[in-house]
Amino acid sequence: MTTQHASLPKKRAFLVDVERCIGCFTCAMACKNYYHQETGVVWRQLYPLDEAIYPHRERAFYSLACNHCENPACLNACPVKAYEKREDGVVVHHQDRCIGCGNCIRSCPYGAPRYNPVLKKAEKCSLCHERLDAGEQPACVQSCPVRALRLSCPEHPAW
Amino acid sequence: MSNRTGTTGKTGPNGPGGIPSRGAPSCSMSRRSFLKGLIASGALATLPCGLLLPRNASAAPFSKSDFQIFRNACPRNCYDTCSMVTYVRDGVVKFVEGAPESTFTAGGLCVKGYSYPRRVYSPDRIKYPMVQDGRGSGNWRRVSWDEAMERIARKLLEIKEKDGNLLGLALTKYSGNFGITNYGVEGMMSSLGYTTRLVGTPCWPAGIDAQNYDLGDMWCNDPEDMEKSRYIIIWGANPAWCSVHSMKYVYAARDRGAKIVVIDPVLTQTAAKGDVAWQPETGSDGALALGMARHVLDLGLVDRDFVANNAVGFEEFAAYLRGNVTVEWAAEKSGIPADDIRHVAEEFATAKPATIWIGYGMQRHVNGGASVRAIDALVAMTGNVGKVGGGARYGHLQTWGFNYHAMIQKAPAGSTGFTGKSGPKGEFDVTAGSAAPAAYTDRALNINKTAQELLDAQNPPVRVLWSSCKNPFAQDFDRNKMLRAFEKLEMVVSVEQFFTETVRHSDIVLPVTTLFEEWTVNASYWHYWVSLNEQAIAPLHEAKSNIEIAALLSRHMNRLSPGSCTYPQDIDTKEWMEKEFNKGVYDLLGISHWQDLRKGPAKAKLASSASWSDRTFKTPSGKYEFRSDLCASHGHKASSPTWTGWRSSRRNPSST
Ligand code: SF4
Ligand code: SF4
Ligand code: SF4
Repeated sequence: MTTQHASLPKKRAFLVDVERCIGCFTCAMACKNYYHQETGVVWRQLYPLDEAIYPHRERAFYSLACNHCENPACLNACPVKAYEKREDGVVVHHQDRCIGCGNCIRSCPYGAPRYNPVLKKAEKCSLCHERLDAGEQPACVQSCPVRALRLSCPEHPAW
Repeated sequence: MSNRTGTTGKTGPNGPGGIPSRGAPSCSMSRRSFLKGLIASGALATLPCGLLLPRNASAAPFSKSDFQIFRNACPRNCYDTCSMVTYVRDGVVKFVEGAPESTFTAGGLCVKGYSYPRRVYSPDRIKYPMVQDGRGSGNWRRVSWDEAMERIARKLLEIKEKDGNLLGLALTKYSGNFGITNYGVEGMMSSLGYTTRLVGTPCWPAGIDAQNYDLGDMWCNDPEDMEKSRYIIIWGANPAWCSVHSMKYVYAARDRGAKIVVIDPVLTQTAAKGDVAWQPETGSDGALALGMARHVLDLGLVDRDFVANNAVGFEEFAAYLRGNVTVEWAAEKSGIPADDIRHVAEEFATAKPATIWIGYGMQRHVNGGASVRAIDALVAMTGNVGKVGGGARYGHLQTWGFNYHAMIQKAPAGSTGFTGKSGPKGEFDVTAGSAAPAAYTDRALNINKTAQELLDAQNPPVRVLWSSCKNPFAQDFDRNKMLRAFEKLEMVVSVEQFFTETVRHSDIVLPVTTLFEEWTVNASYWHYWVSLNEQAIAPLHEAKSNIEIAALLSRHMNRLSPGSCTYPQDIDTKEWMEKEFNKGVYDLLGISHWQDLRKGPAKAKLASSASWSDRTFKTPSGKYEFRSDLCASHGHKASSPTWTGWRSSRRNPSST
């Protein structure tokens, strides 16, 4: 249950401790509270791991947003280079370049990019990089009441 | 993770949310081998991963200076009563977060708290006063505040004329907004004269009585000290859903080696996180606690020093246990195996400190108060009362010592009212212990029988019902009876933010402010932080706070009949918030002025995180009372905790 920061890659990544997660949906709503996405467009979602997936008596949940992959399928699939991976690992989607083709949505194994039906473009979790750049935690990470959702972040081992 | 069970990808991370399913397990596996192959062949370099150059995209970094930042407090009836920070730009709430200064809230809210920025701008909000032509018809039309208030004022004067008093006006209100100034609704009633009140509490009264008998007050340890417990029994509470911020202390205790036992008839989310989960028969909690107490007694694990020097009546309680209780009996009643009861009882009695969090559900049964007393006794006899990390935790009102200025208002001169025996009282009865009994009082009806009481009230009947901070159709018992009771009412006024079921059965609805639109102050009945609630934005539409509504009603009452209402006719919610503070509150919080709370919430300066740490109890004897003569004198059958069986109409669990 303790965080082994030393053994983690020097890139930023979400850490989800499913054993601690109480399935409260706070992280998902904290993201919505901050970005006010269109109805139905969800950047962070909480998935109940029902018995078919997680065959234990206890209830378990999995909080998932963009994983900011080492080798991002979205980025590889995008024909107009709307995706970019920052040095610190954050995979940024530049919505202004996006043509709404949906390739990223179809390629991501985690269902992270979503289709914004109003803008007719894709969008996804930004890892709150504008907050990171200001030294603030991502909205979802800050919100988790039991620190089940954390950010592995070389500059901030306590997150 | 889905690989383990070989699902099809219809559920789990890839499936829901309208994302084209990729059949996760097989695809991701083949994908991985595909990539491996590419790496091996050196072909990876030709993929568009050239994009992985550090370009460091950045939007303008987040800056607090782009916002006006306000302090708010979550006003719903919740253990956590979060201290909030609200970010406003151009007069619009952009987002909220938990106040970082509160170690309890610790920067985060819950899923409901984070939905507030949407709630306040919801298109479904009640925007202006409306009148429904025909209750339940849906024929709502917008009226001005003046028209709505004049209509109400005329009706009140009419029933006062007819009945010679205002007992035909009833108030139903509970915990929909716990901001202290919202007790100004009760104040509005008092300022009109003697009225009818639906009082008592639908929530936790039996447990409060129990703790009053045992300890002299309901006073729990600081929940933050739960992390120092070596053994935690969460009995009938579900913090994973209902007090999310408390879970971190439970986890911290477990990380330090504590065992977590969760007792609940339902396998709750908290139970799923516990080390032991018991699902006893509903209403058997008292029997279970007594069975555990008997085992502790048999093992000789009683804290002899405490029961001899800090308590009265332990020997009688022990005699009751020996004569009437066995572990097998408790097992039979509760359905929990006797060996399990013995095991947990022994572990609880030997872990120091050990604590029990007593939820509110069990006391809403026959034996309810006695069940809480039995649990208190278990905590006390094991020497865990008054200990950091120990305690029988139920709730507290230590930080609620406000002036209740908005609430305490005088009846107009010459008002007449009720003269009979008074009914139940709420938990904020500030009249308790006041000098001479008044010639007249309000008429108290039992809030837990709202429908029946409204039907039965006579001389005069209830003619007008004012509903605020409450939704009787959703929250009170017996909806069908409630429909009949409402049919009897001549006028129903609802003060609301949304079109609830109760609004549907109202004649007039008045739009009320959300937390962002008024000044007030909030305290918790669980943790020890107090938060200021600033007005962060101007009220939307035509919403007014409860106390502004009272002032407007007063203006109309006095215009139509001078002297008929004593409520001030012009009020400022900020001034009224200030009037709630006093030196006692300042001293407790260690602040010199309420303005200090603009820098962040303040926590009560406690001598110890443990309640009763000096072992001086507020009972008549000054000691912990296993035997409470006060309890017996209040007409309860036993002076010590007992368990007397279910009500006879209940199905017998052992016969199933
Ligand atoms: S990191 Fe930011 S954008 Fe991503 S899920 Fe969390 S709150 Fe949303
Ligand atoms: S906020 Fe934390 S505990 Fe709640 S669902 Fe998200 S990860 Fe789980
Ligand atoms: S936890 Fe309770 S007090 Fe905090 S935001 Fe949620 S409902 Fe409000």
